[in-house]
Amino acid sequence: MHIVDGALSEPVLAGGALLAIAGVAYGLKKMDYEHLPQVGVLSAAFFIASYIHLPIGFSSVHLILNGLIGLALGWAAFPALLVALILQAVFFGFGGFLVLGVNTVNIALPAVMVYFLCRHGIAASSPKVAAIWGAIGGAGAVAVTTVMVAGSLALSGEAFWLAAKATLIAHIPVMLVEGFVTAAAVLLIRKVKPEFLHLAEDWDNA
Amino acid sequence: MRKLFVLLAMLFALPASAHNVVGGVYAIGSTIEGEAGFSNGDMASAGTKVIVTDAAGNVLLETETDDEGFFTMEATTRIDHIFRMEMGSGHVLEMTLPAEELSESLAGGDTAVAASAAKASTGSAVQYDEAAMQGMIEKAVAKQVKPLRKELRAFQEKAGLQDVLGGIGYIFGLCGIGMWWRQRKQAQAAQAV
Repeated sequence: MHIVDGALSEPVLAGGALLAIAGVAYGLKKMDYEHLPQVGVLSAAFFIASYIHLPIGFSSVHLILNGLIGLALGWAAFPALLVALILQAVFFGFGGFLVLGVNTVNIALPAVMVYFLCRHGIAASSPKVAAIWGAIGGAGAVAVTTVMVAGSLALSGEAFWLAAKATLIAHIPVMLVEGFVTAAAVLLIRKVKPEFLHLAEDWDNA
Repeated sequence: MRKLFVLLAMLFALPASAHNVVGGVYAIGSTIEGEAGFSNGDMASAGTKVIVTDAAGNVLLETETDDEGFFTMEATTRIDHIFRMEMGSGHVLEMTLPAEELSESLAGGDTAVAASAAKASTGSAVQYDEAAMQGMIEKAVAKQVKPLRKELRAFQEKAGLQDVLGGIGYIFGLCGIGMWWRQRKQAQAAQAV
């Protein structure tokens, strides 16, 4: 999912950087300090998730977790993911500094989308419904991210549909795993620590 | 049918999408060997285009990788060679082979080399043998050093537990700073009241 330095054209890099700055600024503004530790923990989870490769058949994948991060953090996903991406670039050499903006937008924007689309779903009273919405969120965020990655490449000249199709197909296993993990996480958090997903507030309102 | 094949080929390129690109170029006399792959150990897919340019960006040669992500070329001049490969899904690898690593017997922009070549040409058959000997030595040394280079590169690419722990530490540290900042503001507000 990390686009490396040198693959994108300058306007795309600049556009990505501007969008990322806007997203991070808005995220920091929306983030209340009560949730700061949560932002840190999820940022750390994302940071490690890309490092741990799970073997699947002839290949290996790593989790992205942006669906779960989006569900838990909303707009605060932007600063959380930016920090994790910077550290991944420094420590693991994933991505690069010039493409940091593009990478942040590609991963954080789907997270925010999932937050708005699936939030009500995971707060449903039936755990089954909630798990399904969690799975949709987890898989959906990865799908949107792959399309956005292909889109950023397309804007820089690579054939869009071919690239998009290739990355989408390549990420089907990731989407499946991600869907399961997010659904399981949603179920667990609902039981153990509903406030982690801001669920208690929703239940109070309902 | 063709479409299916393309899709299958892409599926096999799957590991590419989540990893870093790594590669190396090595000179053995006037031959340049190179390889490219991904940080998880997969090599570049067969037929990946390698575009070789000089420092100014003029294309010298285009070649392709074999099924082990390996490619070779003969250098004709002793200049910096830049190798650029597009490995799909935004993975671009650029490698440079500095002129110094190439055999001195090649003609090049380097004046010192030209001078030494001129000196060699004044000599007799003994001088020629020396040049041949030099080539042999270069080849032998390159062969010995190659696995070490590979190992070193793999080592450089490897991120260890230290990196993971360090990154987590940074994130928690940032959170700490945020809380401290907030605490200070609250304290200030309390004092003002």
